Amino acid sequence: MKLNFSYDGNIAVKAILQEQLEHLDIKFQLLDLGQIEIGDDVSEQSFTTLQTNLKKYGIQIVDNPKGQLIQKIKDAIIEIVYDKEKFPNITISQYLSDKLNFRYGYITNFFSEYTHTSIENFIILQKIERAKKLIMEEELTLTEISHELNYSSVAYLSTQFKKVTGLTPSLFKRIVVKRREMTNND
Amino acid sequence: MKILGLYKNSQVFKIALAIAILVVCFIGSVFYSQMKKLDATVALIANSNKTQLELEKLLSVISVYETNLRSYIITKDESYIQDRFLSRGKIEESIQNLKELTANDTLANNDINRLQILIENRFKLFRQTLLIAKSKNAVPLDLNEKLLESSHVTQVMKAFVTKIIFSESAKTKFQNDNHQFELRDSIITAFLLVLISLLILWLSFNKMNVDIAELKKANDKLKLLNESYNTAEMTANLGHWMVNLTSDTYSFSDNLFRLMGVAPNAFEPNLENSVKYIHPDDVEQVTKLHMDSLVNRQYTSTIFRYLTAKGELKYIMGVGSFTKNGAGDLIKIGVNYDITSQYKKTLELEKNNKELQYINKELEAFNNIVSHDLQEPLRKIQMFISRLEEKEFEVLSMQGKDYFSKVRATANRMQNLLIDLVDYSRTIKGDKVFSDTDLNAVLNEIMHDLSTNIEEKKAVVNVGNLPIIKAIPFQIKQLFINLISNALKYSKEGTHPEINISSLTITEKEMQDYKISNKEDYYKIVVSDNGIGFKQEYAEKIFLLFKRLETDAKYSGTGLGLAICSRIVDNHKGFIKVKGEPGVGAEFYIFIPKGDLL
Amino acid sequence: MITHQDSMHILLVDDDEDDRAFFSEAIQELKMNNKLTLLKDGNDLMDYLILPEIKLPHVLFLDLNMPGKTGIECLKEIRADTRFKDVSIAIYSTSSSEKDIEDTFIGGANIYIKKPNDFSKLKKVIKEVVNMNWQFHTSGLNIETFFFSV
Repeated sequence: MKLNFSYDGNIAVKAILQEQLEHLDIKFQLLDLGQIEIGDDVSEQSFTTLQTNLKKYGIQIVDNPKGQLIQKIKDAIIEIVYDKEKFPNITISQYLSDKLNFRYGYITNFFSEYTHTSIENFIILQKIERAKKLIMEEELTLTEISHELNYSSVAYLSTQFKKVTGLTPSLFKRIVVKRREMTNND
Repeated sequence: MKILGLYKNSQVFKIALAIAILVVCFIGSVFYSQMKKLDATVALIANSNKTQLELEKLLSVISVYETNLRSYIITKDESYIQDRFLSRGKIEESIQNLKELTANDTLANNDINRLQILIENRFKLFRQTLLIAKSKNAVPLDLNEKLLESSHVTQVMKAFVTKIIFSESAKTKFQNDNHQFELRDSIITAFLLVLISLLILWLSFNKMNVDIAELKKANDKLKLLNESYNTAEMTANLGHWMVNLTSDTYSFSDNLFRLMGVAPNAFEPNLENSVKYIHPDDVEQVTKLHMDSLVNRQYTSTIFRYLTAKGELKYIMGVGSFTKNGAGDLIKIGVNYDITSQYKKTLELEKNNKELQYINKELEAFNNIVSHDLQEPLRKIQMFISRLEEKEFEVLSMQGKDYFSKVRATANRMQNLLIDLVDYSRTIKGDKVFSDTDLNAVLNEIMHDLSTNIEEKKAVVNVGNLPIIKAIPFQIKQLFINLISNALKYSKEGTHPEINISSLTITEKEMQDYKISNKEDYYKIVVSDNGIGFKQEYAEKIFLLFKRLETDAKYSGTGLGLAICSRIVDNHKGFIKVKGEPGVGAEFYIFIPKGDLL
Repeated sequence: MITHQDSMHILLVDDDEDDRAFFSEAIQELKMNNKLTLLKDGNDLMDYLILPEIKLPHVLFLDLNMPGKTGIECLKEIRADTRFKDVSIAIYSTSSSEKDIEDTFIGGANIYIKKPNDFSKLKKVIKEVVNMNWQFHTSGLNIETFFFSV
């Protein structure tokens, strides 16, 4: 039997971190946006053990400050894409510069230099990712999805969807459904 | 009408007949008993009459006797009394007769017994009187006294006899009255009997008449049916047979004999005889199937061959099933159907089908060659061209550059041709799955696909509100891609191409021209442009395969695009028309039937 | 998981020598920090993937029409093996038929590339694909619904 499930990566990661840190008796405080604060008294050895243990879950300790900023930008974008009700009257650029305390120009340059893609593209990517999820959940129509994601029209959503995936939303849906059918029949 | 209906109902008739017969029996038995009673009355009357007669005879004998005795007394002539013993005998006889006659009547019998005593008494007096009369010393006074006494006794006796006669006559009168009455009753009963019998007779006769008429009608119908069935069997090339499982008798229809290549009733219909006409290879299978079915009573269906005496081979479809006839016997009825022509056609069709499948496979293989094997080297040529262009173009001479551009253009043209060929062959082969297709969505997709091309040409494409049609989605998309690409390709230099796509209603003129009976039968989609147009006389030709109107190198066409359009519209059971005017533009009219015409 | 610092490991399986050459030239010209492995058919690929010492590719470019094991067969085998679940598979084919595109996506491909007929286009496509793949792996996007067709 195969099950389709959904999960919240954030909760999962937090749970794993908590478990691992407690296991090594490290004092810590969970902060938002992929940060934790640990005491300075952690030994070299337990830090390495933590690093290897976390790697098994695909979690890497990124102590690179540049990487941290990129991560912050990405998290902020994801936040605004997935929770637009929280920010009804704010543009993403406004939100990013407010949140990260940098000029938006600096943020975009920094982002594209580091990630081989522009912030605009990343936003589109995230929005389409969300659209994919909504299409798969099959609860909303395409029109509702385009509204949910702040697109002016279904046509515009379809165009962007096609640009990012090379597929029309309906073909995408068909492929996903057939894939599920196939794996379920195995 | 209802009565007629009842009358026709044989059940009701049977009941009525039974009731009528019961009534007749009843009246008959009443009549019989009346007759019997009448008989008895007549016997009684006769008896009574005889008694009276006998009594009167008795009286007269006594009277004669008396008279004779008187005459003797007066005359003393012995001859008067010589018969006296004979008379005595006669009286004995009469008494005896009376006794017999009144044997059944005790009252009368008693009377007779008393009469006998009276008569004995009288005769005693006679003898005494005679004795006195005969004696020489008779005292006339004694004689007189005896005569007086005799006369008195005679009076008494006469009175008694008269009384008896009177009583008998009263009896007779009563019986006679009874007789009259019973006779009248009997006459009424007899009349009733005759009347009812006549009624029954009439009813039966009428019913019989009706039955016979109906039977005749049914018979005629049956005859006609039989004839038409025979004709039908001949026309339809089928014959039927029946086997009565109870009596094990077979019957064949005329045409069944003909199917076997012989005249009707050429042989006695049975299994052994008919099997002779079945192809030797099929006999066993057919016989087994038939015999098995007689056991398990299952419906049979088989195909076998007849081999007629003339050597003709016929393919026969034989089916058989079971039923019961009027007598309740189980019957197997079979129909043998000559399917030789169908069978041969099917064989031919199968053969053609195989060929077609083979051709289809070849076409598919060809399609693969075009789409992959031919495109593969061409693509590589184009790759090398692009490599050369990037790296070595600048070092070429002017003429070399010119040649090089031509090589590139030719390779691109070939690529277009290959793509169009694939598209065209895709419109020919199967995969014709129709589904509800929203033309608005299709056009939307096309706008994405052609966006570079549209932007390049700075074209304006206006798409009106289009219907949802039953179509093969990828083909209908191809249709509009080709039409829009066509419009973009043949645009006027120096003008922004403007393409309009809309759904319009069919005009009266179009209904006449294209023989459309109802304008609701078709969708009409119009694709118009402001391109270079063409002369109307070419309107039919432009849809032909590899037919190109423009030979100018700058209009690089393959001659396939519109042929593909025409083919696709054909596949949708519609048609495509075009109006063109040189220098003004072209208008394509697509007519696609609405759902139910497909 | 790919980190920002990692170099991309790209694997190309194509029986056509010229195509392999074009591909490798394009990668070189793109000057991306990539490691490229070239294999000439499906059997080689399946043998290569089970070698113990290799580092699995981040993205596998797979030609469909190959002698021996076809691209479709390879796709099936790879997707049936959970060891290779993180490998993105890019179908690299001459065919542009919608049926091929749909079938391979359903069969577990992530990317479908119609082989371009122009070298600059090839470079552009490779760059796009590698970037897109990188985005998917570094930005927590759902690999299961990673479809990209160019």
